[in-house]
Amino acid sequence: MTRRFTALAALAAVCACVELVAGRGMSPGVVWDVLNGGGDATERHILFRLRLPRLLVALCAGACLAVAGLVLQSALRNPLAGPEVTGVTPGAVLGAVTATALGLAGWESPLAVVLAACAGGCAGAALLWLLAGRGRGDPAQTAVHGVLVSAVLGGLTAMVLLVEPGELGSVVQWLVGTTEGRVWEHWHLLWPWVLLWGTAAWLLAGPLTLLRCGDDIALAAGLSARRARTLALLCAVALTAGAVAAVGALGFVGLLVPHLAVAVFGADLRRSLPGAALAGAVVVCGADAAAQSSSRLLAAVLDSDRLTLPVGALTAGLGAALLLVVVRRAPDRTF
Amino acid sequence: MPAAADRAAAGGQPPPRGARRWQPLLVVALLAASAVCALSLGTPYVPPHRLVAAATAGDTTLAGIVVTELRVPRVLLAFVAGACLGAAGLVLQEALRNPLAVPEMLGVSSGAALGVAAPLVLTLSLPAAVQPLPAIGGAALGGGLTLLVAGLGRSPSAVLLTGAAVAAGLQAALLVLMVMADQLDLQLIYRYLLGSLSARTWDDVTGLWPWLVLAAPALVLCAPVLAVMRLGDEDAEALGVRARHARLAALAVAVVLIAPVTAVCGPVAWVGFLAPHLSRWFDPGAGAVRWLPWSAAWGAVVVMAADVPARLALAPVETPAGAWTALLGVPAGVALMRSGGRRRAALRAPAAAGEPPPGPRGTASGAAGDVPRAGAEKHARGAGPERGGPGGTPSRAVRTTGTEGPR
Repeated sequence: MTRRFTALAALAAVCACVELVAGRGMSPGVVWDVLNGGGDATERHILFRLRLPRLLVALCAGACLAVAGLVLQSALRNPLAGPEVTGVTPGAVLGAVTATALGLAGWESPLAVVLAACAGGCAGAALLWLLAGRGRGDPAQTAVHGVLVSAVLGGLTAMVLLVEPGELGSVVQWLVGTTEGRVWEHWHLLWPWVLLWGTAAWLLAGPLTLLRCGDDIALAAGLSARRARTLALLCAVALTAGAVAAVGALGFVGLLVPHLAVAVFGADLRRSLPGAALAGAVVVCGADAAAQSSSRLLAAVLDSDRLTLPVGALTAGLGAALLLVVVRRAPDRTF
Repeated sequence: MPAAADRAAAGGQPPPRGARRWQPLLVVALLAASAVCALSLGTPYVPPHRLVAAATAGDTTLAGIVVTELRVPRVLLAFVAGACLGAAGLVLQEALRNPLAVPEMLGVSSGAALGVAAPLVLTLSLPAAVQPLPAIGGAALGGGLTLLVAGLGRSPSAVLLTGAAVAAGLQAALLVLMVMADQLDLQLIYRYLLGSLSARTWDDVTGLWPWLVLAAPALVLCAPVLAVMRLGDEDAEALGVRARHARLAALAVAVVLIAPVTAVCGPVAWVGFLAPHLSRWFDPGAGAVRWLPWSAAWGAVVVMAADVPARLALAPVETPAGAWTALLGVPAGVALMRSGGRRRAALRAPAAAGEPPPGPRGTASGAAGDVPRAGAEKHARGAGPERGGPGGTPSRAVRTTGTEGPR
């Protein structure tokens, strides 16, 4: 187990290094110079004011989404419950977009964006709670209704964007999910939030492991299943909102990375929760590094500077490929 | 598809029972009301009793030009698009035996959106004659990709999952384009993505007819097969239907129905979800053959009714019709799905002797188990071998609740 953690941490470190040297503007040699104290003012600015916060935000957001996904999947006992399909991510996007459109929040006041995203995420989860009605104890029904809630919230976001078309350009990154242009302000906002709710998730790891076994077993073990589930859901919503406010709706991370973590670290959440955090960080950071290098490559090949690959597109593509592999590997299985 | 609606109105005269009696009346009344609203409201306001005069006056008066050149094609387009989407939705839901199998999940909508966005963003100049081709090509590409990959997966939800994966992949490509686009292109793409009927002309309407001529006979042919598919693959095979072939054929019909509509109006969301549920709610005891025309009629009603607030609610800004159908259609569809399952269960108890026995997953709410079960299975398989001590229990617990919960 320790070996697996070490391997994953090493992978994270490698991804971080690649992320630092990837990207246009500076070659790896210059990065090394700057790290040793050399380089001119521009290069120092690029490395310390742009690339470093971007790296940290990517790591942190990936960890957030993965942990939120694992908490949701365990609390609802539903392997399809990522933040994307329980209405949390679309709700957070709607909150952020609405706050921006109303002028309550903007790039000058990032805290308002986080709070609005959090409120939106809670509203999305509450809408699911209402819509699921009596079927809310049933994982299958919850997943089905989550998809529908996402559709309603998507429609609302569209309405807001069409009333305020001027905002479309600035909020499109929330719809896509990108780590571009993240600076220290974002990081300073993100880490206390993540630390707070990450600790809460860590404290809930034991009860959540029990919840995974089913309500009966959890009740027999002396756990108040309702209260534990409510706390866990709150925790997941807050973590997702933080990540969405920072990087936007990154597709598939919250849905697929928890499965990876459970496969590697087992179903005991006390071990697989940190594992999921690490794995999420690796996935998002690696995807960002890959997106940056490939958009650099593409720009060189196609000779157009406009081409940038947002990390959200890459994670969505990866997720789609993974899903296809899963479906094709078992053609005869009655899903 | 007016033919479908007419056929249904003429042929469907079952013994009246409950809501079924009111269905034709309600459909016709709603269609007429939304058509009159769409034709007369707006600027300039043409009172309903002057509509005929304005239309016959042609392009001599302002009102005549507005009505004949702008409003009539728009109403017709809404009607045709809604009917196509409603019929396609029913075909998909019946063929995949899943009440959530919607056109959006097949990759068709994403493919069409990609086809529209690519020339716009990459500033390729196309001659006017081939303008609609990229969208239709993209829609066919998305649907074809799903069909190609899904040919290997045999179960209904494998097809659904494949469609979701293809849609997500195409969405990723679209995201890249959206990030590259400038503000104006972005607005155009976004508006199209939501499904809008604004500024569509007679050319768009006439462009749809060849596809309809292709799709209508196919629909008539596949409707009886759909009724058999509902019994489940094994029973269908026993009755002489090759289930895999039939499912692929049904998907192909759905693609042919959806692709041209999506190319013209964009993906008008969730019509294909709401319309079949409406038709089932009104006539829970019928089979796919009778549901099909009603589903098409309800689709037309939904799109036409949604287009009125889309045009007028926030005037002078046009809101996309797709946003309204999503906002109003999803809660309505969920409510119908729930009460429909309950009603059908109540209906079946006394009428069990007179009706063909429904398959194991006959009811709409029962088939809802398919999707989550897929994940449960996947989850159990992906996680199983690596698990330590407590690992086996949770996965088994998840699986059993996933399969048995909704039944």
